[in-house]
Amino acid sequence: MHPALPSKGWLGRPQFWVELFAIGNIGFLAVDVGVAHAINDFEDPAEYIPVVFSLACAPALVLAMLLGGLEPAPRGRFPFDRPRWRSGVAWAVGMLVGWGSLSVGVAGLVFHLKGDFFEQMTLKNLVYTAPFAAPLAYAGLGLLVILNRMVNARSREWALWIVVLAAGGWAGNFVLSTADHAQNGFYYSSEWASVVASAIGFGFLCGVLVAPDDRRLRTLVVAIMLTEILVGVLGFGLHVYANIVRPTSTLWSSFLYGAPAFAPLLFADLGILGLLGLWALTVNRPESPTAIPRSGE
Amino acid sequence: MSFRGLFIAVMLSTAMIVSAFVLQSKRPRIETDRPSADLVKATGKCADCHRHETSAVVHEFEMSLHSRKGVTCLDCHQPTKGQEPYDHKGFTITRKLTSSNCRSCHEKQVDEYMRSRHAAPAWAAVTGKADFTPEQIAFSEAIHKGAVDRPPHPLTAVEGLAAVNKGCRQCHDVGKPNPDGSIGSCTACHARHVASVELARLPETCGQCHMGPDHSQLEIYHESKHGVLFNAQRSGMNLSARPEKLSTEDMPVPTCATCHMSGLEGEKFTHDVTERLSYFLFASVSDRRPTYEAGRRNMKAICLKCHTNPKIQEFYGSAEGVVRSTNKLVKEADEIIAGLRKDNLLTPEPFDEPIEYIHFDLWHYGGRTAKHGAYMGGADFVQWHGYYEIVNKMAELKKSAEEIRARASKGEAAPKAAASSDPSARPGGAADASGASK
Repeated sequence: MHPALPSKGWLGRPQFWVELFAIGNIGFLAVDVGVAHAINDFEDPAEYIPVVFSLACAPALVLAMLLGGLEPAPRGRFPFDRPRWRSGVAWAVGMLVGWGSLSVGVAGLVFHLKGDFFEQMTLKNLVYTAPFAAPLAYAGLGLLVILNRMVNARSREWALWIVVLAAGGWAGNFVLSTADHAQNGFYYSSEWASVVASAIGFGFLCGVLVAPDDRRLRTLVVAIMLTEILVGVLGFGLHVYANIVRPTSTLWSSFLYGAPAFAPLLFADLGILGLLGLWALTVNRPESPTAIPRSGE
Repeated sequence: MSFRGLFIAVMLSTAMIVSAFVLQSKRPRIETDRPSADLVKATGKCADCHRHETSAVVHEFEMSLHSRKGVTCLDCHQPTKGQEPYDHKGFTITRKLTSSNCRSCHEKQVDEYMRSRHAAPAWAAVTGKADFTPEQIAFSEAIHKGAVDRPPHPLTAVEGLAAVNKGCRQCHDVGKPNPDGSIGSCTACHARHVASVELARLPETCGQCHMGPDHSQLEIYHESKHGVLFNAQRSGMNLSARPEKLSTEDMPVPTCATCHMSGLEGEKFTHDVTERLSYFLFASVSDRRPTYEAGRRNMKAICLKCHTNPKIQEFYGSAEGVVRSTNKLVKEADEIIAGLRKDNLLTPEPFDEPIEYIHFDLWHYGGRTAKHGAYMGGADFVQWHGYYEIVNKMAELKKSAEEIRARASKGEAAPKAAASSDPSARPGGAADASGASK
């Protein structure tokens, strides 16, 4: 544990921000999935499940936060300054949301793959099928919520898992941006930027996992994550612009059928998660001095 | 910085980027080939999707003058008054285009077409006046008396729906009334999406309908010197020249469109294909049109681009001779049939006795072919497909009439064509036309 950490308030520790990140993302997925499934006119009633789930779970996690404290804790590490039942209920709500989100993500993956791809596993069907990697966002967020309640947030292990989940997000982002832009035929060469950026995001976070104590590498990856945030904001602007100049009957239909406006914000989102992971790695130093690599620090 | 972390980072990133490039390069061209930015602009983004679905439509549009001039898919597919709007991927369009959509830019051409026999008279020739509004009937009757305010063609009842749907209507659709109140579709001659003036100038385009034994214009054209020269010199011609500027340099040899429609070297171009006609050649007995003088004058003005006046006069004189001669033969056949009817030896219903088919063939095939052959320079069609057929049928007709009279004098009934009173039960009737649009 970082010697200075206990003295810092919850605002100065990464766990609160990670939990907030999970709540915000689960909540915002209601809008994102709502728009995505509106294209399909919610043809299958099951398409409402993630929207309803998001709308219900984000407030539930906020409630858990109010009950159990701003920083979730694993069982056996509940804070002493509040009644145990409150921490217990908060933990249970969190775990319920976490497992629920994981289930929704995996089920969504299966549903999305139920389309043309499994009937005929061609590159074309892979490109034009429902984005099978997209529901995994729920799985990732579910794992994040569960992690916050299974592993001590002030441990090295917790910090490493945050980086793992961020890297996983970048892997998903790579698949999504490649498939989405392949669907568009990489019409503009600038569409390759998202593919390259997500590959770099994944590759360098994996590099950090291999050498978590390499301070210079972490600094480099911080710079990369900040750049990814800029890429996301720029992509958001480009997608919105493309939709606004599109000659459609209504602005809504332009956004509905045009470039997915929120998709590039996933870059900014995962950039933030990556930064949180790197922050956690910095403050959650290895307990054993022998674990600290000497070179590169 | 540790080499281990950096190595993993660079290797993984590079491997992913390369794999994405490789996957993209392995995709079939139809998936990765994109329309140009200009085309997307011109198509209102329609090409984005339609490159993958109905890709030929995009390629056809790319070849069009519309595309080069920046006309978009939406410009043409915009629903006009009376057309059902259809929400399609965020765009409000109409699925079926009519002449009304073309009219917003080509008003003069559509108005001319509306006055032609390609409009209401074409459709009424098959189905009669049933599908037209009173206004449409009044408009057309004022120009082509009796061509629209008429019953359906009697053959449609005899042959049945299957034949009518896949046969008659495919050509006569050129004048079909649309639900939006307009008539016909320009795509019959110009084709969808490519909207080609070059295509409309090809003899084969007119020949889609103007061919076969009843009006063998395409065959006659290909037999004529016009057709032979055109087929030999086509590669050197500029068939896509602007109608206002078409010259004999672009097309030194005429096609159907040149003589009947084109604005050759300053002559007015028209979409009313009757403006240069002098006789009702399609009729059993061909009378002069009310616009006989104007028709001759208009057509001769085009002939003069290639032929001298004495030659044209001679050509017209001999062709009119064929019309008079054919009329005489057809009238003789008409009198034989009229005589049988007068003596109650034929039923009033058309096409229920073999002799009626002989009579019909005589003028509808032989008679028309001889006259068209004469006006289009098709010697073989004047003689062997024309006159020979007329005299051949005349001999059959006379023999058949004598037999009918002989049987009548013996008190025997005349032979009848096999026909059921229920039209749907006949071969080719409703039962056989299942799946066909009605």
